Amino acid sequence: MTTDGALARPRLAVGWIGRVRHRPILLAAGGIAALAVALILGVALGTVAISPGDTLAILAQRLFGAHLGSGWTAATETIVWDLRLPRVLTAMVVGTGLAVAGATFQGLLRNPLADPYVLGTASGAALGAAIAVVIPIRLSFLGFGLLQVFAFGGALAAVFTVYRLSRIGGLSPLTSLLLTGYAVGSLLAAGLAMAMYLSGAALRQIFSYLLGGFDTASWSQLGATVPLVAIGSVLVLLRARTLNGLLLGEEAAVHLGVDVRRERALLLALASLVTAAAVAVSGLIGFVGLVVPHVVRLVVGPNARLVLPLSALGGAGLLAFADLAARLLGEIPVGVVTAVIGAPFFLVLLRRARTGYEL
Amino acid sequence: MNAFVPHPRPVSHRPGPRGGILAAAAALAIAVALAACSTGANPTVSIPADATGSLQPPATSSAEPSASPLTFPLTLTDDEGTKVELAAEPQKLVSLTPATTEILFALGVGDRIVGKVNDPTLYPPEAASIPDVAKYGEVNVEQIVNLAPDLVIAGGNSFNPPDKIAQLRSLKVPVLVVYAPDIETVLNDIELTGAAVGKSEESKDLTASMQAAFDQVGAATKDLARPRVFYEIDASQKIYTAADDSFLAAMIELAGGTAITTGSSTNFEIPLEKLVAADPEIILLGDAAYGGTADIVKARAGWNVMTAVKNGAIVPVDDVVITRPGPRLVDGLRALALAIHPDADLPSAAPSAVGSPGASASP
Repeated sequence: MTTDGALARPRLAVGWIGRVRHRPILLAAGGIAALAVALILGVALGTVAISPGDTLAILAQRLFGAHLGSGWTAATETIVWDLRLPRVLTAMVVGTGLAVAGATFQGLLRNPLADPYVLGTASGAALGAAIAVVIPIRLSFLGFGLLQVFAFGGALAAVFTVYRLSRIGGLSPLTSLLLTGYAVGSLLAAGLAMAMYLSGAALRQIFSYLLGGFDTASWSQLGATVPLVAIGSVLVLLRARTLNGLLLGEEAAVHLGVDVRRERALLLALASLVTAAAVAVSGLIGFVGLVVPHVVRLVVGPNARLVLPLSALGGAGLLAFADLAARLLGEIPVGVVTAVIGAPFFLVLLRRARTGYEL
Repeated sequence: MNAFVPHPRPVSHRPGPRGGILAAAAALAIAVALAACSTGANPTVSIPADATGSLQPPATSSAEPSASPLTFPLTLTDDEGTKVELAAEPQKLVSLTPATTEILFALGVGDRIVGKVNDPTLYPPEAASIPDVAKYGEVNVEQIVNLAPDLVIAGGNSFNPPDKIAQLRSLKVPVLVVYAPDIETVLNDIELTGAAVGKSEESKDLTASMQAAFDQVGAATKDLARPRVFYEIDASQKIYTAADDSFLAAMIELAGGTAITTGSSTNFEIPLEKLVAADPEIILLGDAAYGGTADIVKARAGWNVMTAVKNGAIVPVDDVVITRPGPRLVDGLRALALAIHPDADLPSAAPSAVGSPGASASP
């Protein structure tokens, strides 16, 4: 924790970091450009070769009604429009949600190891998904199966339980939240292990949820996820100032006029909602929510007003590129790719920022 | 209750994203998965892959092919109870189970298959030129959509991921799900598949000849002594064998043996002490293709007390034909019967038209 104010910038200025850190607008523009590239590549590349011309023509026709020829088959159009486009967009939305939620939890809990899953969301979602797989009921509505619904509900129920339990007893609120989250998460993990043991041939389905991925993304799932992630993220972004206050510590925040208890509960609820919406469609994808906010902080400093929006961009870009790589490498788990891309990058940044990094 | 079905290979995994919390679950899951894996490193163990249907009771009752005259357009009810509508006789087929590939070739429509599941023990050899669009536990939806098939035939009971089947259906690709938990359903599935591809008569001829071959084996072993048979699915770590009332147990009984089963209809693991107490007279090595040998069995601690080990009655068998729910089940049953009763009055191979899909494949 910083002693000279959360808004102070770390004392480092090496190479390009030094040059861009005072111009966050450049970073944002770069992020948006990277997203555009990810979108185009994500739609153009895949296991079936489709010419870039056809890809663009199909998109132009669907988006703007422009007729730029029709030399492609209905199958090609389905691949571009119903398989690849919703997939890239879902990866971006999930990346945004996880990175914003991660930045929020890290600031809120004042803990650099916090990620979107720290308060039991992941265990709750995983147990919910596993139960949906094990019980012999199959429902689906608008592209949603029982799995997505149970995962979403499980994540929220887990966080709610953790929050309520953490308020019993005499520990400081932050310590209590973290430890309660750990305890409840462990219990849920035991339930998950049991469900997996009982799952028989369906074990693989549970595994693929635990690994996460976007290979069954669809417009209808995206349509339900976008509002939750967007509204939740925007509301968190609007509270960036509060988050900055909380970063200074409870007492300082009170002096700044922050209603600590109310704001903390609100931010927790919003970040958990965003996380739950993300993991319901994508499964558990690690690393993004932990590392993206740190990378952003290393570059622009700890001001939540910059960290939150830039994390949103960074998360979207990282997951979109990671999913593209995962797809081209034969549908390997996307979490593996995020770690392989992100961890070395993070380490390089950490080395450059040996002094002065703060949350 | 322990309802674990052995998996044919380790499911890829990494520790849970929440290092601390999910790691426990992940570690346990990995332990369970690895323990259950037949011959951990060998990706080609195909018993459950081919016979997922045979290893667990059905989630839903299987469906009879529609009894009405089979002209297109046609609506069929698949083994999961889903109604599948076919406007015309399908000309482009995708086969997502190895057994389906065999059935389609046996029905003479192998040349209509435009995409298939990868199968390390592929049969018939003519199928080798068909591109793979799936492998165990994975389905490439993009490639299947690109082939624009008229019908996809997929495996139930999670053989093909249910979410991928749902995704294909949401993209208006007709998917017929087959899943055979017992021998009778294998025959039903062949007729269902036949009805779906416009080869209803041919499929009924095929199942009739298969039934006749089953009856022939039954008759040949009826009056013989019924030795206690332990069928080794895998024993590289834990010991896996036939569950009660399973496909495999039924095959062994039909072949004239008394199947040593696990004591539960959902658990395929048998404790060593239970196996010792059951005292097998014959050990069949279903894992012979994956490294199981009589010498390994003899060298295992505690196994030397079993009658089969003392008498050297340890016989390698081809698990694919015994467990794959397709036309070659007839060969599998004959092989089982001859492994249990070497002197039984049976043709050793399967010269019938049934087992030679290549011969009946249309040009």
